[in-house]
Order: sequence, then C-alpha cells, then structure tokens
Amino acid sequence: MNGYVEAGYVVVLGTIGTYGVTLVVRERAARRRVGQAVSSVSAAGSSDPPEAGVPASGSASAGGGEETGPGTLI
Amino acid sequence: MLRDAVLVAGKDLRIELRSRIGLNQVGPFAIAVLLLFGLALGPDRAVLAAASAGLFWVAVLLSTLLAVQRSYAIESADAARDGLRLSGLDPAGIFLGKAGAVAAQLLVLEAGLTAGVALLYGAHLSGGLVLIAACAAGTLGLAAVGTLYGVVASGLRTRETLLPLLFLPVVAPVLLAATKAWNAALAGTPGRAGGWLDVLVVFAVLYVAIGTVAFGPLLEDG
Amino acid sequence: MSTPRFALPQGRSRALGVLGAAALVGVAATVWLGLFVTPPDQFMGNLVRLLYIHPPMAWVAFLAYGIASLASLLYLWPRTRAEHFDRLAGASAEVGVVFTGLTLVSGSIWGRPTWGAWWVWDPLLTTTALLFVLYLGYLALRRVPGEFHVRARRSAIGALIAFIDVPIVYFSVEWWRSLHQAPTVLDPTTHKTYVHGSMAWTLLLGFVSFTLVYIWLMAHRYRLGKLEDLEDTEGLGAALAERRAEGEAA
Repeated sequence: MNGYVEAGYVVVLGTIGTYGVTLVVRERAARRRVGQAVSSVSAAGSSDPPEAGVPASGSASAGGGEETGPGTLI
Repeated sequence: MLRDAVLVAGKDLRIELRSRIGLNQVGPFAIAVLLLFGLALGPDRAVLAAASAGLFWVAVLLSTLLAVQRSYAIESADAARDGLRLSGLDPAGIFLGKAGAVAAQLLVLEAGLTAGVALLYGAHLSGGLVLIAACAAGTLGLAAVGTLYGVVASGLRTRETLLPLLFLPVVAPVLLAATKAWNAALAGTPGRAGGWLDVLVVFAVLYVAIGTVAFGPLLEDG
Repeated sequence: MSTPRFALPQGRSRALGVLGAAALVGVAATVWLGLFVTPPDQFMGNLVRLLYIHPPMAWVAFLAYGIASLASLLYLWPRTRAEHFDRLAGASAEVGVVFTGLTLVSGSIWGRPTWGAWWVWDPLLTTTALLFVLYLGYLALRRVPGEFHVRARRSAIGALIAFIDVPIVYFSVEWWRSLHQAPTVLDPTTHKTYVHGSMAWTLLLGFVSFTLVYIWLMAHRYRLGKLEDLEDTEGLGAALAERRAEGEAA
C-alpha cells in the first residue's frame, strides 16, 4: 500500500520541480537572447534612422517600462 | 443577417448537390466507421445493439469533422477566409449559413446511419420522436462548434490535426447527452430522455449564439 | 544609438524570490506533515496521505482554468484589452495543464488501491480529463503563428469556446454517473474520515502551498512569454538593422 503513497508524492513533486526548473532555464536563455539581440541592434544601428527601430522600440518600451523596481512581482 | 445566411447555406448546399462529395465520401466514411466498430466489438449482436446509440453518435461526430473541413474547402482553396471576408456578407450570416448547411448534410447522413445501425447492429428503433429531437438539437450544436473552429483552422497547414483536437473535447457533452437520449428511446423508455434533450438544446443555443458573435472576429484574423 | 532603448525585465525580483521561498517551505511542510506526522486513516490507512496532494492539484487545475478564462475575457473586452491579459492566459494555461495532468495521475494512483482500478468514470476525474485535453487544444491554438493581436484575439475566443464547455461537461457527467451509483472522489463516506485535527490542517496547508507554487510558476511563465515576444520584435529589429548596415556599407 505504501508504495502507492510514495510513488504519488515522488511523481507530483518531481514533475512540479522539473517544470519549475525548466521554466527558469528557458527564461534565462530567452533573457540572454534578447540581450544579444538588443546589443546587436544598438551596434549595427548606430547610424540608422529611427524608422527601422520604431515599431520594435514602441512595443518593447511599452513592455519594458513596467519592469523596473525590486518590489514588483513580475 | 438571415438573408445572408440563407444565401450562404443555399450556395453550400447547391455545391454539395452538384459535386456530391458528401454523398460519395462522407457517407461511405460513416458506413465504414460503423463497419469497423462492428469488427472491433465482435459479432455478438447483443453487445452491438446495446452500444448502438454510442457508436452512432461517435460516427456522427467524426463525420462532422469531415463535413466541416469540406465546408471550408469549397471556398477558394487556401484563400477561403479571404473569399468570405471580401464577399461583403454579414459574418454572423455567413456563420449561420455555413453551420446550417453542415447541419443539413449531417441530418441526411444521420438518417442513413440510423438505418445502418438498425441493420448492422440490430438496434430496435423505437421512441422515434426522441431520436429525431436528439438528432436535431445535437446536430445543431455539433455544426455550430465545428463551423466556429473550422474557420480558425481553415487555411492553416495544421488544419487536419488542429480541428479534431479543438472540436472533439468541446462536443463531448453532446456525445454523452445524445447517446443517453437515444439509449432511453431505444430501450423503450423515451420519457427518461427529457433531461438529456435539455442539455442538447442548451448546448446548441449556447454555441449558435457564441458563433454568431465570435465568427466575425475569427474571420478577420489571419 | 548605443544605449538600449528599453530596460530588460529584472533578473531577480525580490517579491518573486520571497514567494518562491514561501511556496517551497509550504510544500515541504505539507509533505513532512502528510507523510510522517499525520496518523493513518481509520478506513483508508496510509492512502489518506495522497489526499493531501490530490485535491490541491485539482484545485490549482481549476483555478488556472478560471484565471485563463477570465484573462481571455478581459482581453476581448475592449475597455480592458491589454497584452498582459493574453500573456496571463497563456501562462495560466501552461501551468494549468501540468497540474491537470498531475490531478489525473495522483487521482489514478490513489484510485488503484482504493477502488482496484487505475481509472473510474468519476464526474470530477472525467471532467478533469476533458479539461486536460481542452487545455492542450488551447495551447496548440496559441502556437498558430500570427501577429500578436491576431493570435491573442483568436486564442481568447478559442479559450472561451472551450472553457465555457467545462460546466456543461461537469453537470452532464455528474448526472450520468449519478444514474449509476459508482465510487466518486467526493463520496461522503471517504470524505468525512479526514476532516479532523492535524489532517484538516495539513490539507489546508497543502491547498495554500500549492496555490503559492502555482503563482510562482505563473509569474515565471509570464516573464518567459514576455521575453519571447521581445525576442521576436527585437530579433526583427536586429535583422532590419543588419540589412540596413549592409546596405550602407555597400
């Protein structure tokens, strides 16, 4: 009987833990890629007129603006 | 809106009458499904007769998928949505028309399937009114959900797999209620079907209503 | 333009860290209490310990579904339309599908020794199974390519079509089962055996802890979604800038 109990706990905790870890890993990877994309845009775009960047920066700054501050949850 | 609906339904049905794809392909598909069930569940007619209602409705559900795919395939191939969008017709009307045409074809199919079930499984047809009522309400709900998800899936490369995945879980209550209603009728106790018919009607009304509102936005996207 | 045009999301948010720690402590306490401190049940024996885990899984599964539906509704309503509601819906759905799967697995593991079968057509379990597939369909729909607003609106409508179905499914299945008198998870005889004393507190702790876990996972999934969207737009910007630089160099 007890085998079932242990199996249940292991499966549940293991799955949640694994999922949580993969989320954090995916998030770090995505943050790294976005950082690279931003810096490559800045580097390559030092002489370019604003048009190419406006659609990207428009939505990006709208998205990024709410992120600052240590007290925010997200 | 209703005028556009009749227009679209008429067009779809006329295309079907001319091409007879429903008759030549969806119909045989449904018969094949019945036969395969027969093979799977064994030659014991008692088992099959007991399961008739459920098998009938599963066959109907699967046939709905084909009918919906066909409904969108007859618009200009992959530009289906563009064609409908540019036609200038009221989207709610288009939805009602297409769903209506699908429903009409399904009802004809169901008549054939009923005969098939009686013949192949030895189902004892009784409680005709309940059988028909369940078919009417159930089919309407199926056609509504199918047409709604169909417009989303149309024009996508993944449409053949996406549509069934979206459609089948949502219409599970229709399968359940219609099967139970039919079981009650076939068992000679049609009175017991009342509540299940209510479920079918509620489902149909709900999803036809949702469809008339949601079809427009879904049509515009993509 | 050498300065970045926006600030990247904070790598570490203190509040999120606190939440994560609290969730971890809560779960650990639940496990410790559930496995070691609480007594075995009079009827179920040690199997009752699984009931500190399974109901919280189900609770989160349906909570996630509720939040995804609400967020979808808010996205569709013109006055409250905002990108974050779409991301919220998507995040909640992904976390929700994990918990829904776990509800089914934990229920199955509990059911096998209790009823002798890995699966029974219990109304709640059956509805949960259907919810699982509905979630998967919704997530598949979200992955269909398209511009943000198009994808978001389509997903929101898809969510409502699917999730409005859940009450209908539940009542249909419940009625279906009530006609047959078969074991159910909410069976009163199994229910009242564990609502006393330390068992009740442990169960409550379980609910609270896993809700915190859900919120933490959701927050991270939300951030991930935001980063992926930024990646798309910035990636496009980078590609455009490169083309432009090439054009100017030539």
